[in-house]
Amino acid sequence: MTIDMSQFYQVFFEEAGEHLANMESQLLALDVENPSTEDLNAIFRAAHSIKGGSGRFGFTDMTEVTHILETLLDKLRKEELPVRAEMVDAFLSAGDVLRGQLEHHQGGPEVDQAQIREVCDRLNALSAGEHAPEPRRLWLECRIAPEMAADPQGVEDLIQGLSELANLELHQRPAPGDPRLSGWLTTDRRDGEILEALSFHAFPEDISLGQTGTGPSPVGTPPDPTPPLETSSQADPGYGFFDEEPGATEPAGPAQAESRRDDDGFGFFDDAPGLPAEATAAPSTATDGKDEDADGYGFFEDAPGRPDFPHDKDVSAGDSPAALEGQGYGIFVDGPGGMGIFDSAPGAPRMSQASQPAASAGAPAKTATPQAQDNANKGRRAGDNMAAAVHSETSSIRVSVEKVDQLINLVGELVITQAMIADAASYLDPIQAEKLLSGIDLVSRNTRDLQESVMSIRMLPMSMVFSRFPRVIRDLAGKLNKQVELRTFGEGTELDKGLIEKITDPLTHLIRNSLDHGIETPDKRVQAGKAPKGTITLKASHQGGNIVIEVIDDGAGLNREKLLTKAKERGLNVSDSMPDHEVWQLIFAPGFSTAEVVTDVSGRGVGMDVVKKNIEGLGGRVELESITGHGTRTVIRLPLTLAILDGMSVGVGGETFIVPLTAIIESLQPTPDDIKTMAGDSRVVNIRGEYLPIIALTDVFGCSGTQNLEQGIFVVVEAESGKAALFVDELLGQHQVVIKSLEANYRKVPGTSGATIMGDGSVAMILDVGAVTRMGLTNETRRLAA
Amino acid sequence: MENIDTGSGIVSSGECLTFTLGKEEYGIDILKVQEIRGYEAPTRIANAPPFIKGVINLRGVIVPIIDLRLKFNLGNPSYDQFTVVIILNIGKRVVGAVVDGVSDVIQISPENLRPAPEFGSILDTQYILGLGTIDERMIIVVDIEKLMTSQEMALVEDIGA
Repeated sequence: MTIDMSQFYQVFFEEAGEHLANMESQLLALDVENPSTEDLNAIFRAAHSIKGGSGRFGFTDMTEVTHILETLLDKLRKEELPVRAEMVDAFLSAGDVLRGQLEHHQGGPEVDQAQIREVCDRLNALSAGEHAPEPRRLWLECRIAPEMAADPQGVEDLIQGLSELANLELHQRPAPGDPRLSGWLTTDRRDGEILEALSFHAFPEDISLGQTGTGPSPVGTPPDPTPPLETSSQADPGYGFFDEEPGATEPAGPAQAESRRDDDGFGFFDDAPGLPAEATAAPSTATDGKDEDADGYGFFEDAPGRPDFPHDKDVSAGDSPAALEGQGYGIFVDGPGGMGIFDSAPGAPRMSQASQPAASAGAPAKTATPQAQDNANKGRRAGDNMAAAVHSETSSIRVSVEKVDQLINLVGELVITQAMIADAASYLDPIQAEKLLSGIDLVSRNTRDLQESVMSIRMLPMSMVFSRFPRVIRDLAGKLNKQVELRTFGEGTELDKGLIEKITDPLTHLIRNSLDHGIETPDKRVQAGKAPKGTITLKASHQGGNIVIEVIDDGAGLNREKLLTKAKERGLNVSDSMPDHEVWQLIFAPGFSTAEVVTDVSGRGVGMDVVKKNIEGLGGRVELESITGHGTRTVIRLPLTLAILDGMSVGVGGETFIVPLTAIIESLQPTPDDIKTMAGDSRVVNIRGEYLPIIALTDVFGCSGTQNLEQGIFVVVEAESGKAALFVDELLGQHQVVIKSLEANYRKVPGTSGATIMGDGSVAMILDVGAVTRMGLTNETRRLAA
Repeated sequence: MENIDTGSGIVSSGECLTFTLGKEEYGIDILKVQEIRGYEAPTRIANAPPFIKGVINLRGVIVPIIDLRLKFNLGNPSYDQFTVVIILNIGKRVVGAVVDGVSDVIQISPENLRPAPEFGSILDTQYILGLGTIDERMIIVVDIEKLMTSQEMALVEDIGA
């Protein structure tokens, strides 16, 4: 039976992408200290699904990586190994590699083989790793910061925190005037974690944490400070306990065990009691490792329920759970034919390799037994999987964006047509045409509902964007040696798909900025009297017809002096007496790199001007507030959708133009006294003490409106070049308009950002306020020069 | 090359829609014609050449309208209920062309096409595929795609602009 597998590729790509994203978010949310079996199972399932799918479609490279990934995950899941932070790191990199491979299969660039090998080695090393540390007794002595000791609540918190980590026998409690703290800790946690808990209250050099034997007896006097200080300096790297384990990238083997033992000596990841078992295990690694392999390949083969390996034949062949699992994968393929690919590709070359050590070690019986159990487990899990798959299949369908867009366009038509009919019917006699009119009313209500629900198809929750930031922050914080917590609010806020895609880059930039230039290093934060861990808050909410996204950090804030100096260097028009909010706006000036200005760290990527431009391109606005020393808040306001715009329609000489509401500050009727001329001819209007240039739309668009400034209305707008007063004949009303592109069939028209169709079916131009202002000003200049 | 390609397009369909501008009769490839409709007042586009009358809403699509009579200085550019707009499909674009009247659909085989003499006229000969004769009438067969996408029509964004 031959099936054209390529028709299922796209499904696999999408599903695998989702599984990867899912896995990543689960990993990031995973509580390393106290992982729940549920979470680990979910991560395992995601990896397993990718493996199954990739194997079935013959993407063996992905199968290999996921297999190794899965081996380690399985050990974690069965609590054979404790979860450690570096494992999460390794999983994340494996996820990156898999994503790269996935993109490669979709026509992207090839993934660096060295990178794949590195990740695989790292995972292998980790899964060959140590056993759970056993509780040990440690003598802790430290001198907490005096101001902390003076605060009884703070001391209580500290002791509370330590008690959570360890069984605490307090020897000396810090008191105001005597900031020393000492006692015995009985714990299975790593030293780094205990130091972390203390880092809040004491400087690293003031903490000593001794192993059993190095400290004094519980009743003894506090020990001589010298040896503990030494241990503390060794333990100091514990602060960076998110760092990669040095040995993690090395291949499993005696050397690995050796290097791990070194680490243990530092009390870095593990403690002494765990070591002997480890050491004895090390010499036998050669055979163990093979055993491991045999076991590992067992996974491989049981996934599709395929009788293949000699030692496993009888188990999986008649094993119904395994068969069940095979069906679970039917999500990807609808026949056993697909499994053939899985069979031949990764399995076969390994079989000989795997069966050899298995035979030589005399292990078949040994491996088969856990295998059987394993199969049973998997069968159960596959059952869950299947239930989940069925559920998701019934609750959602995949539709291409074009189809949705077409639907939206058609509904847009319907709305316009409906408005036209309603308009025409309004001239009818309401008594004679009663039935018709009530019918039209009904249609208009239905149309509105239809439009709303169709628009909602394109709406996606903000969590689509927010979900990628934990990873960004985690990676960047690690690189910069900063501690940052990300808080997100309003993930459920919905936004148009097009906007979601376009807002990601500016938001990423803002977050990187906050992290790079806003949040200080832990030392600096402590010095400034803040918690060592910075916070970046992401908020999304609806406000009126807009969506408001806020990026808030509690970092250093902007530096007014530096900004002003830099602005002067750049020859910008600034003065020392400028109000703060105007100073903050300076960082949006083109070429005004925040990196050079706010900190001395060299900047990365684009400047804030690009962020601002991008957001304005989406019809949004950016505002920035900052308090030096306390943090920065960036507020982005966006229209709910790209396709609809809130606009004010204005009439100029019988023509209708739409001014985007976001740009309008106010509209007013001028008094003759407010209108002044400058240099004889340039006209400005005085609005509450501010002189704004007057830009007559009749001049810009060459239409025949009134020239008499006292007869018209000024619409005060804010563009990137500053405020201006647009002069129009009349205000017609406020509408939500559907934006139509002029470029589709024509070309860009200067001064407009598009067109729309009004209720009567006519076309109206939507003004690009920035461009109109610029055109108005140059027109004025030209007029004066002539 | 393009010229030849579109030329062969004419030959392949073999049918031309003819319309009049003043006293002259023009022919365009019928496969480029989407529909023919009456004239409705378009929305003016600021700072556009006079022959671009503006844009209309064609069932939700914004379509620019060009008055070929203005472009070629032919006929009487008046607009009433008899004024006709030919909606053309040029590439992926939709463009409307105002003409005096639509007259016929005719078959013109390439053998019947005579090359147009080189004049320094408004309508550059590079846009003319040839001159055809039907019952003593001369039909100027125009490469409408080339004409509409030409720079002088200002319908398409200038490259590099």
